[in-house]
Amino acid sequence: MAMQPHSKKRVCYYYDSDIGNYYYGQGHPMKPHRIRMTHNLLLNYGLYRKMEIYRPHKATADEMTKFHSDDYIRFLRSIRPDNMSEYNKQMQRFNVGEDCPVFDGLYEFCQLSAGGSVAAAVKLNKQASEICINWGGGLHHAKKSEASGFCYVNDIVLGILELLKYHQRVLYIDIDVHHGDGVEEAFYTTDRVMTVSFHKYGEYFPGTGDLRDIGAGKGKYYAVNIPLRDGMDDDSYESIFVPIISKVMETFQPSAVVLQCGADSLTGDRLGCFNLTVRGHGRCVELVKRFGLPFLLVGGGGYTIRNVSRCWTYETSVALGVEIANELPYNDYFEYFGPDFKLHISPSNMSNQNTPEYLEKIKNRLFENLRMLPHAPGVQVQAIPEDAVNDESEDEDKVDKDERLPQSEKDKRITGDGELSDSEDEGEGRRDNRSYRAPQRKRPRLDKDATPAKDDAKAEDTKDDVKNISNMEEPKKEVPPNA
Amino acid sequence: MVLAERSNDVRNGKRSRGPSPNGHGSPDSSSEDENVVPFAAEKIRVGRDYQAVCPELEPLEQRKPDQISDRALLVWSPTSDISDIKLDEYITIAKEKYGYNGEQALGMLFWHKHDLNRASMDLANFTPFPDEWTVEDKVLFEQAFQFHGKSFHRIRQMLPDKSIASLVKYYYSWKKTRARTSLMDVVSEGRNPTGSGSGKRESGAGSEPGGSDKDSDNDEKKWTLHRGIVRGGKPLPGGGPSLRAGQQGEGEGGGEAGKWCTVCGILCSQTTPHNSHKLCQACLVHARRTGTMRPLCGPSGRRGPGSKQQRYKHRLPRGIYINHDDLVAMATGPQPGEPAQPGLVNQGEAMLKAMDREIISLKRQVQQNKQQLSAMKRKVGDAGVEELRPGEPPAKINSRWTNDELLMAVTAVRKYGKDFQAIAETLGTKTEAHIRTFFISYRRRYNLDAVLREHEADRGSANHIQAAGTTSTESTDNDVDNSNANNGTGSPQTNTKDEKTEVDSEGVAIGASAEQGGPPTTPPKHKPSK
Repeated sequence: MAMQPHSKKRVCYYYDSDIGNYYYGQGHPMKPHRIRMTHNLLLNYGLYRKMEIYRPHKATADEMTKFHSDDYIRFLRSIRPDNMSEYNKQMQRFNVGEDCPVFDGLYEFCQLSAGGSVAAAVKLNKQASEICINWGGGLHHAKKSEASGFCYVNDIVLGILELLKYHQRVLYIDIDVHHGDGVEEAFYTTDRVMTVSFHKYGEYFPGTGDLRDIGAGKGKYYAVNIPLRDGMDDDSYESIFVPIISKVMETFQPSAVVLQCGADSLTGDRLGCFNLTVRGHGRCVELVKRFGLPFLLVGGGGYTIRNVSRCWTYETSVALGVEIANELPYNDYFEYFGPDFKLHISPSNMSNQNTPEYLEKIKNRLFENLRMLPHAPGVQVQAIPEDAVNDESEDEDKVDKDERLPQSEKDKRITGDGELSDSEDEGEGRRDNRSYRAPQRKRPRLDKDATPAKDDAKAEDTKDDVKNISNMEEPKKEVPPNA
Repeated sequence: MVLAERSNDVRNGKRSRGPSPNGHGSPDSSSEDENVVPFAAEKIRVGRDYQAVCPELEPLEQRKPDQISDRALLVWSPTSDISDIKLDEYITIAKEKYGYNGEQALGMLFWHKHDLNRASMDLANFTPFPDEWTVEDKVLFEQAFQFHGKSFHRIRQMLPDKSIASLVKYYYSWKKTRARTSLMDVVSEGRNPTGSGSGKRESGAGSEPGGSDKDSDNDEKKWTLHRGIVRGGKPLPGGGPSLRAGQQGEGEGGGEAGKWCTVCGILCSQTTPHNSHKLCQACLVHARRTGTMRPLCGPSGRRGPGSKQQRYKHRLPRGIYINHDDLVAMATGPQPGEPAQPGLVNQGEAMLKAMDREIISLKRQVQQNKQQLSAMKRKVGDAGVEELRPGEPPAKINSRWTNDELLMAVTAVRKYGKDFQAIAETLGTKTEAHIRTFFISYRRRYNLDAVLREHEADRGSANHIQAAGTTSTESTDNDVDNSNANNGTGSPQTNTKDEKTEVDSEGVAIGASAEQGGPPTTPPKHKPSK
């Protein structure tokens, strides 16, 4: 769909030139260098000159403890590769060591990433900008007192907390292939932030994000999880993204939106298992932008770095409402983008395990939950747009399945092994990918691990959870979601 | 997730594949969950230790947005005062002349509050922070990288003056060029690794001018080599036992192995015979201009005995020529083999840098051109050729003839004859069929035959000039077709004749030719030949 001419917005972009110089460690898939590659591409595409460019201040410990616990931040501030041995116990406690290694400049890296998102939120609060971008942020797994999934400080939560000073309701959308558990957990019991996460679910990190996780206490129904399977392609993704987001916007009526643009949902990602193209990924940005709300774009995952920088460059252009050529301009890292040197990528021929029926079922279930929101208008009024939306998406599904992809077309999409292999990282010293996918939590979550994990017990467990919390209102008699 | 925890958490580690996410969502999931441990043992935790505390919404009247600090430093803001083209020009100058990068150039412009002139003048006053690594650093880095891989803190022990950040940065810009011959390879090829004070290509090329030391008798190794090659070659015409002749013999005997300039002794991919010598480009130019052979100015006898053999390994890639003067210029820096002097930029290095810059700027140009091409292509693809056609789009086709149209049609007949398609396109409001009907019904009234004759006369004379051989006094149709043939549409001559007879036999069969001749090509072909 063509961009509307009125979609030219004032865009602020946050970047610190040091951020590409942090290095997680040999064989680690997270590479802050991708942010610099994105930046360089933006510069050479001439997008840089169309935005306000800010160099964020480093977030202070004070700012970070708005969410994180004091001793966790204190720990992050003092740990270094050369004094690690003195902190063995705390490293265990804060889950720092393996996936979240201690690397040189770790704390500064967190400061820059968080500083960008906080400054961007402040900018939106001041109404000095419509769209703010911080590709260095988006570290959505970080918990209040725990690092997780390559994330140490949750810049998104800090940004949202800043937005909440001026906005009654903030919507958080997460299109990373992993569940946005850190953000969801942080706002699990509030009705002021709705978290919507589209993610691969089942045998996959971080293991949370069940369809039936809907929030707790006051925040019940304010967490929306869309569990997906391998091979999501552009059309399927849009077929679920559009109706859900439209419905959420309609019922929740946020006054600001934060979109986490994790690029590991792209095809050919080193850790991801979806089949989105840059265009399909960027489509989500375009759709959210159309609502015209104050809009914070943050980065996130993304482990095939040439595609990450392609994706975020394209999404910056979408935010700006500027069209950019498919041929990449010459840039400092031009050689990374061979052999085609194009902006857009083709999907692979992997099969899409998300059937239209499956997506439809999820969607209907989520609509039921959204209907419970107090903001929702009356039932009759609601029924009409919903049906309309359903019809639309059904059409799309049909098109996607049968017509758009004749075998000849699919054959074209098959890429050679070499093209998909990650040239950024060589074989030696590279860790087994599975370690990053296999979700294994080191500590019990409340009483969770103690209970034999039987699924029939699950609905009950949720109640137990809630009861454990003293300051929680008594849960209403709820129908188990899968009844 | 956590590697170390894997062994502890046996349940997780050995768990069979969990049920599909669909299973959880579907009502009948409980049955299939019985035998498999569900994956979703993970739960969002609830409690004071996990949730964020949301701040109070500040009441509207208490907000002071302008008093909040930005918590960020503005380094560039867009401007509409400067056109993109001017901005591009400015950036290009800053890049190519002063070695800025795009960001620095814009930073300078922003500092001068978007005053392009002031910024341009100020460019020369600052040297952008040199992030240059000396060759020694680079070699050390490569060496360290071979030992330690990407353990930058270990690499740092070998390069203590670099920060890890700087190492990481260099690593990322270096690895993309690793496909090229690495410094290590060049250096380790017989030279003291730490002793190289020159750029990588320089050190590769630097051994070439050694070819000019062929007159030195003390180079024993060379002799053995030459003898070996000459043996296979034919005896040299009038060649004394001079080295030069030997070299030529090698050039012939070696055949494909490479060509040697017989004057300066450079290995090059192309030599030109001149006065019984085979000359490289530079020597040839010199010889033609001055009539004498180019004086040899290369260093002689500097290299050690082993180096000659090494030289033969350096074969130039196809299409690469080496300019002797460049080599000389490059060699006037610190000599290879002497200890490196960090920081000293010799002439050769400067030349290489300039060439690198040139390559980059050309590559940039190539990509820009590609972008422009694709943009144009897309534009044409979207709009089709219609946009490029003169006149209004043929939207309002109307079979009714207005007076203006009639007038135009007659004029068009005068111009295009019976090329109805061309006429229809000129008018824009009529189809070809309309024109045909017009021609029939108004033939008398506007005396179109006379008009046709006029057209014929014009065309005829034009045609005769072009193709003097063809006969003239034929019908217009024939002329048209002849001109077609002349214009090279490829319709054979016989075709023309067929049509002529057809038209003749049919008498007033208007438009038959337009249909049967080379129809689609006719209209555009006619226009230029008016």
